[in-house]
Amino acid sequence: MAGALPLALDTGPDDAAATAPAVGRLRAVLPADFRGRVQSARELARARREEAAEHPPLPTAVPALDRLLAGGLPRAHLVELVGARSSGRFSTVLAALAATTGVGEAAALVDLGDGLDPAAALAAGVDLARLLWLRPADLQGALASAEIALGAGFPLVALDLGPPPVRGGRGIEAAWLRLARSARAHGAALLVASPYRVSGTAATAVLRADRARAVWQGGGATPWLLGGAATRLTIEKHRGTLPGQSAGLELKTAECPPGTRIQTPAAPAAAAPRPRPAVWEELPEPRRAAGGRR
Amino acid sequence: MTAAADADPGPAPAAARIACLHLPLFPLAARLRAEPELAREALAVVDGNGNAARVVAANRLARGAGVKPGQTLPQARALCPKLVARPGDAACERAAQEALLEVAERFSPRVEDAGDGVAYLDVEGIDRHFGKDGTPPELDLGRSLAAAAEAAGLPARVGIASSKLASRIAAGLPDSPVIVPAGEEAAFLAPLPLSRLTPEIDLAATLERWGVRSIGDFARLPAKRVASRLGKSGRDLHATSRGLDPRPLVPREPPPAFHEGMSLEWPLVSLEPFLFVGRAALERLCQRLESCGLACTRLELNLRLEPDGHQTRSLDLPAPTRDVKTLLTLVRLDLEATPPGAPVAAFAFLAHPDRPREAQLSLYGPAALSPDKLATALARLFALLGPDRVGSPQPVDGHRPERFALVPYAPPPPPETRREPRTGRGLLAVRVLRPPVALEVITEDAGETGEPAPPVEIRALVSEEEKKRLRIDGRVKVASGPWGLEEGWWTDDPAGRDYWDVELAGGGLYRLYRDRATGEWFADGVYD
Repeated sequence: MAGALPLALDTGPDDAAATAPAVGRLRAVLPADFRGRVQSARELARARREEAAEHPPLPTAVPALDRLLAGGLPRAHLVELVGARSSGRFSTVLAALAATTGVGEAAALVDLGDGLDPAAALAAGVDLARLLWLRPADLQGALASAEIALGAGFPLVALDLGPPPVRGGRGIEAAWLRLARSARAHGAALLVASPYRVSGTAATAVLRADRARAVWQGGGATPWLLGGAATRLTIEKHRGTLPGQSAGLELKTAECPPGTRIQTPAAPAAAAPRPRPAVWEELPEPRRAAGGRR
Repeated sequence: MTAAADADPGPAPAAARIACLHLPLFPLAARLRAEPELAREALAVVDGNGNAARVVAANRLARGAGVKPGQTLPQARALCPKLVARPGDAACERAAQEALLEVAERFSPRVEDAGDGVAYLDVEGIDRHFGKDGTPPELDLGRSLAAAAEAAGLPARVGIASSKLASRIAAGLPDSPVIVPAGEEAAFLAPLPLSRLTPEIDLAATLERWGVRSIGDFARLPAKRVASRLGKSGRDLHATSRGLDPRPLVPREPPPAFHEGMSLEWPLVSLEPFLFVGRAALERLCQRLESCGLACTRLELNLRLEPDGHQTRSLDLPAPTRDVKTLLTLVRLDLEATPPGAPVAAFAFLAHPDRPREAQLSLYGPAALSPDKLATALARLFALLGPDRVGSPQPVDGHRPERFALVPYAPPPPPETRREPRTGRGLLAVRVLRPPVALEVITEDAGETGEPAPPVEIRALVSEEEKKRLRIDGRVKVASGPWGLEEGWWTDDPAGRDYWDVELAGGGLYRLYRDRATGEWFADGVYD
């Protein structure tokens, strides 16, 4: 897939007959070196399906996340989870770590915010013996640590950037692309949890966690008790899925009485469907070489 | 003396087969192992200083120009103006000798260290593993020994015989390897000059007066009469001349650490040149560790400083590794953190070995991390972040959430069969603030009850820049508490706290506490 040039061609089943000749005509007018790099959206989608079959996703045991990501964190890809403070971002990271270490696999947490409480992680179900905890001082150290962890073969590397602003800035995009390439090379799932978008085009999927709504219990004569928080995860970007899909996420405190139901926020109104791109019925005639700018 | 009448056949030659690995021109070979780029130069190893320095050994290029051992350095330079002279280096020679012994130990567990580029190994019975393609087994063994030594940067010659002396002399001959068939040691030694036995000077003079010129002449003398005239040393020498070892092969004890180092031609004052020569030494060290199936668990660096003084540094590794890049990074960071403070005249690395981590692969369970890769990664992370920032988290006894322990990361082997992932608990986690953030808190009027009053407004007592980052400010929308925490009241560090969970009007769920002893407020966590 590396180096393939995606085309804005409609891949609907009805347009298959129209698309294939269009790609064929385009390939015919391109130089031979570029011909193999041109792929239609249909071919890209097929390649993605084959890749997904080869690397099954890593379940996170967070129903909302697994549903949005079609089974879990995709291996060999970078997934960015964006969320402000108290959005359930750190809880989601811990849940993913708990799911991975729970099945007996190792995982690494690059904790730039230095916010892990081992006792809380243990309560969340993380197998601490299988968790490598790295506490870098700045973003540069965090990126280097994550790359080393990916190179060591950890199937899940979670990079939590802590509360905003991130220590060391957003990092240059090349660094994130390098990290995504490293995840791809080692077949590892890389989960970046950040207070705002940092990874640019390197992320395969970007999910946004809304600010959580606290759920209090009690009141009146009885003392208030923090029962949990409810938030909503929304896909901002996903290669292969339309953005805008969302799912509610319920989080409960350890003290929350069993059976307590936490109402998740309602999904926002569905956005109007985007206009479908027109099929290139006719390709323009190739320009003549003469008359090019000197 | 009538030799024929009193000839004593003596004991039969021992059945053991002994191979000798011999490095000709040992000081030169050791220096070339440390600085292989000098192989293309006319090189001489000298002993002494200045114009009084004398050539100890010279390579072929230098010898071709007329340089010979014993010449003074000015004499040698007159013959060969481009001659590169290096002083004899005990550290290089020690490392080369250890490397030679390690090559021998790859073939036999019984190896004797004879010093100065000579190693004996007991090869009795191991020749059955050689000679598969029709080559005589011992010849194949000899070639394999020479090839293994060559791969370690040591151009050793090999001789195999039934006695140490015969094998040593065989190893000194050209056309290596030289095999002396069992029982033919005396015949092999007989035509050789007596000087090959390196007798003591007095003894050599006596034998010269007797007209004994070759080893065979000496061997034919009756043993009893030689013993009565020349004493114990004469008797031992006589036995040796007949191919009998007066002293059996004494296997050495493997050293507890691997040593590699060298004296520098001129003292180094900057880091990069030192790392350049240090890298080559570490590469040789790791190659030796790998050949023994070991890895480095602790690296010591000994520095000899100018004009005098020594410095020793110890670098503990989280897991045994033999990754040169990692070790070099650790050395670099250590030297950058605490520079030696004086020019470095010589250095030596000492690697304390350990078995590398191993893992049993599972057919049905999740894949385990490669022990080698993990060890290398941990060492690199140690170098990058520091040892107190890498490890496996562990809770500690008590209830103070900011406390934790970090233990070396050594994950248990994965289960033999893959487990199904469990549904998550969906627990709302707390992101701990380390250290806790001091707060200014306005509370409700507690009246006369004496009960802790809930906070109604909070403000972080930090710098303006940090305040923007933390944003723990504002009116409290809901406060839940107090939840008491009291521990260690019998210790010097007691903790008595009243905890509150608060939701700020501007958003954000925080965990606050009031210190009962001081009455100060802190935020120590964010629900996230």
